[in-house]
Amino acid sequence: MKHTFWTKPFYYVFAFFIASISLYPILLMILSSFKSSAEIFTSPLAFPKSFTLETYKNLLDQIPFMQYFLNSTIVSVVSVSLILITSSLAAFYIARFTFYWNNMLFFFFLMGMMLPIKLGIVPLFILMKDLNLLNTLWALIFMYTATGIPISVLILTGFFRTMPHELEEAARIDGAGNLRILWNVVLPLMRPALGTVMILQFIQSWNDFFFPLVFITDEMKKTIPVGMLSLFGQYSADWGALFAGLTLASLPMIVLFFIASKQFMEGLTQGAIK
Amino acid sequence: MKSLKAFTFIALLAFVFILSACSSDSEAGGEGNGEEASEDTIKLTMGSWRTEDKESYQKVIDKFQEENPNIEIEFKPSKNTEYNTILNTALKSGEGPDIIHLRPYAPGIELADNGYLEPIDDLEGLDKFPESSLAASKGSDGKQYGVPLNISTTQIFYNKKIFEELNLEEPQTWEEFMEINKTLKEEGYTPLSLGTKEGWLLSLAHGMIGPAHYGANEFVDNITAGETSFTSDKFVNSIKAMDELKPYMPENYEGLGMEDIRTMFFTGDSAMFPMGSWEIEVLREMNPDLELDFFPMPSAVGKEPTVTTWVDGSYAINANSENKEAAKKFLQFMTTEEFGTMFTEEFKMISAIPGIESEDQLVNDLGKAADENSTPYMVLVHFAGGNPSTKTTIETELQGMYLGERTPEQVAEAVQKNAESWYKPLQK
Amino acid sequence: MQLATDSAKEVKKQKKRNWKRWSIHLFPIPALIIYGLFVVYPLFAALTYSFFDWNGMVRGDFVGLKNFKDLFTLEPFSGYFWNAFGHNILYFVLQMIFQNGLAFALAYIIFKKIRGAEFLKISYFLPRLLSVIVVGFLWKLILNPNYGALNVLLEKIGLGHLQEAWLGDPDTALIAIILVNSWYGLGFGVLIFLAGFQSIPKELMEAGKLDGATGLAMVRKILIPLMIPSIMIMTVLTFIQSFEAFELVYAMQGSQGEPYHSTDTLAVYFYRLAFGGSTGGSTTAVGLGSALAVVLFLFISIFTGLYLKYMQKKQVDM
Repeated sequence: MKHTFWTKPFYYVFAFFIASISLYPILLMILSSFKSSAEIFTSPLAFPKSFTLETYKNLLDQIPFMQYFLNSTIVSVVSVSLILITSSLAAFYIARFTFYWNNMLFFFFLMGMMLPIKLGIVPLFILMKDLNLLNTLWALIFMYTATGIPISVLILTGFFRTMPHELEEAARIDGAGNLRILWNVVLPLMRPALGTVMILQFIQSWNDFFFPLVFITDEMKKTIPVGMLSLFGQYSADWGALFAGLTLASLPMIVLFFIASKQFMEGLTQGAIK
Repeated sequence: MKSLKAFTFIALLAFVFILSACSSDSEAGGEGNGEEASEDTIKLTMGSWRTEDKESYQKVIDKFQEENPNIEIEFKPSKNTEYNTILNTALKSGEGPDIIHLRPYAPGIELADNGYLEPIDDLEGLDKFPESSLAASKGSDGKQYGVPLNISTTQIFYNKKIFEELNLEEPQTWEEFMEINKTLKEEGYTPLSLGTKEGWLLSLAHGMIGPAHYGANEFVDNITAGETSFTSDKFVNSIKAMDELKPYMPENYEGLGMEDIRTMFFTGDSAMFPMGSWEIEVLREMNPDLELDFFPMPSAVGKEPTVTTWVDGSYAINANSENKEAAKKFLQFMTTEEFGTMFTEEFKMISAIPGIESEDQLVNDLGKAADENSTPYMVLVHFAGGNPSTKTTIETELQGMYLGERTPEQVAEAVQKNAESWYKPLQK
Repeated sequence: MQLATDSAKEVKKQKKRNWKRWSIHLFPIPALIIYGLFVVYPLFAALTYSFFDWNGMVRGDFVGLKNFKDLFTLEPFSGYFWNAFGHNILYFVLQMIFQNGLAFALAYIIFKKIRGAEFLKISYFLPRLLSVIVVGFLWKLILNPNYGALNVLLEKIGLGHLQEAWLGDPDTALIAIILVNSWYGLGFGVLIFLAGFQSIPKELMEAGKLDGATGLAMVRKILIPLMIPSIMIMTVLTFIQSFEAFELVYAMQGSQGEPYHSTDTLAVYFYRLAFGGSTGGSTTAVGLGSALAVVLFLFISIFTGLYLKYMQKKQVDM
């Protein structure tokens, strides 16, 4: 592809300009958490005059943050695993076979995204009560798995369809069963799609606060967003503390992302189908 | 192959976590059994939207337990904006806390009318409260369902320092009030800290400014009897008065919410703050040097200046509770002077129990002013029903007026139309 | 005897082959069970609410389609509906441009191997890590007319006359929220499109080059047709998310879609009807709320269905 002389510089300026817009508010949030409220109002853009961790210490003293963190981790890891397993099985079936009901099945899965799940909260609450799941992490795990399936099936089906049929045929002639084909042939090639689903669902279940608000009343079973929310009420006027709270709620996710991103991004750039 | 490893790793992790999740569940079960062992203790839960009062409630509960060692109460507040959703969901499913913090007037009464609450007419100590306070949680069937907790008032807070500097006095009439606004503006201050971004601020402000123009309680009596309407001159004038204040509101007022107008006031940018009594503590905390005082809203029609008051919450008992008797004991405790005094001191709010003095001069003065000449927060007390509620309608319409989309007459008309759709006395 | 065992073996083999063929139908079962129990069942149980009269939270008589009729003929409900519907359409269109258009361009630039690609990808994606509540809080502060970073910034670079009460002015509030949503969702779009670009077989790109396709022509003739799976995913997702837009509006402008309903969306309107206002100032209208959810569902499902059908045909044609 031919480039005119300005194409590349333009690419750079454009890409990095947008990146700065993406980053700046997050930076602002972290910087503001070190400021006093008065400082935030008088000079919202400036660097904080002094760095003190006092606000953070104060916040952490009031809540069992480690317990929240543990709960969030358990809930997110288990639901993401369940989503990956169930959705790739379902997407494999929909994308790689042509039973005449497949389109309907695909659409059936999509339907879950088309209604506000809050609509069903009363029947859900009764269901959880009957299953004895109220006030357990299982209630959250099942909810995140169930609500995560539609979008995951959509993404995985879309990408599974792009795979050439030859690879699969070869394995089939070798006598491989469906499960083996999915595991050994399809999934390894679909790392970018799986990675995308994984990170998306992890974020989703990590950040949700609606279901824990409704299903969890036990302090020791709360997840990070809900636990932090109860602090927000107390500090609605103290913006410095508010920003510290926002940063605390977001930090674990950001750190996790940086740890996992190398792995994850590598998977992406290696590409699937050459 | 790398991905396979990763996948196995994840599956393994999942397994480990499922195990740990299970074990922590069973631990919790064990705990529960342990507690059941001490048989006589009755455990109650208490729901509320006041996450910020957790510590204060704990003190109240501790006090209660001194006399009732066999009743344990756990205060479990949830986020203000989701409280109704959470509570309604639980109640509909036959669950929910034993002791329920009720929203005042229509929304709380709706719960009573739907049969989710236990009537408490026989509760000792209820007779202390004036009828107007009990009305906040009286069911349509005439039974009492809640113990009123606190009275909120609205009035104009002002910055004493600025007033002294400019030699301003507390106004006695609407004209004097407008004169003060003018002077403040000329001297470079923002006279009134009021924004229109959040609708509730507008109905709150109208609850203060309105009575000065429609003539306070007389009008309220008339309209609740269906003898006048929202399109009457008196009410339209009250909306026009809101419009007249426009020049004295901050620049960009359409984008300002609660936090912004509060900040403008405690930093001394603005001189007057039409707001509720619950803000006193916040203002002091944000700026301990602020010289804070208040004045009641002066009348434009030759009446006494008024403080707007209403009951801001009540406590009720879940009809599905297994320990109603124990819950009643706590509610009874909430009617005692012991509780009232403690509440005023700890929460820095005005107790709904009459005659409780506060050590805080400002809160005390406010309570007195409210006793002397109060008028109800009309749209909340009488017109919070309907869907959308009349209260919501006036909020939205006033917002429209400040954005230049509506005239005061149109606002009044929309309010009348909405009220007619559900309020019986106006349906003729 | 010999014959009998042979045929028994044959039957066994046949059975095994049959099992192999049939076992595939077990694949979607786990997903169906969890999804059916915790999503489909409660939602459809709740949809039946729309056919009943509701007295507060207690179900009354069966009233057929009355709630639907009220929703479209009774003021102010019908007015609110069309107002919110218009906002949802704008939401979708602007999201397609600002989130997906931009994401496509950025994914293409990264795909063209510029330096710092890692940094760029991470930067674009970072906002997506935050909880929507955090996003709402953060941007409310940035867009604050008096103390907000944006207005202060405009002042500093000499564009003070452009200052606005961004979230308080009905002309800018909705657009501001959509842009914040795009800021939030951009990185996800970049990832999907990038995964799409990387799934394109190299030979096809080479072939395109040999044919002398350059620049825009290359994008239009080669890239876009090959990108259909990821374009389809993003379009369907954006469509559904735009018409279900709730959390950000709720976090930033409350349950009334303030100011003056200028940021109201169908999902916010639904929430208001079904659960009352956010500060508890309102009573509920469960029947109307459920009817609204049904209408919303029918609308989204019909359009998504038609779109998917169209895209599938297009894919087959290729």
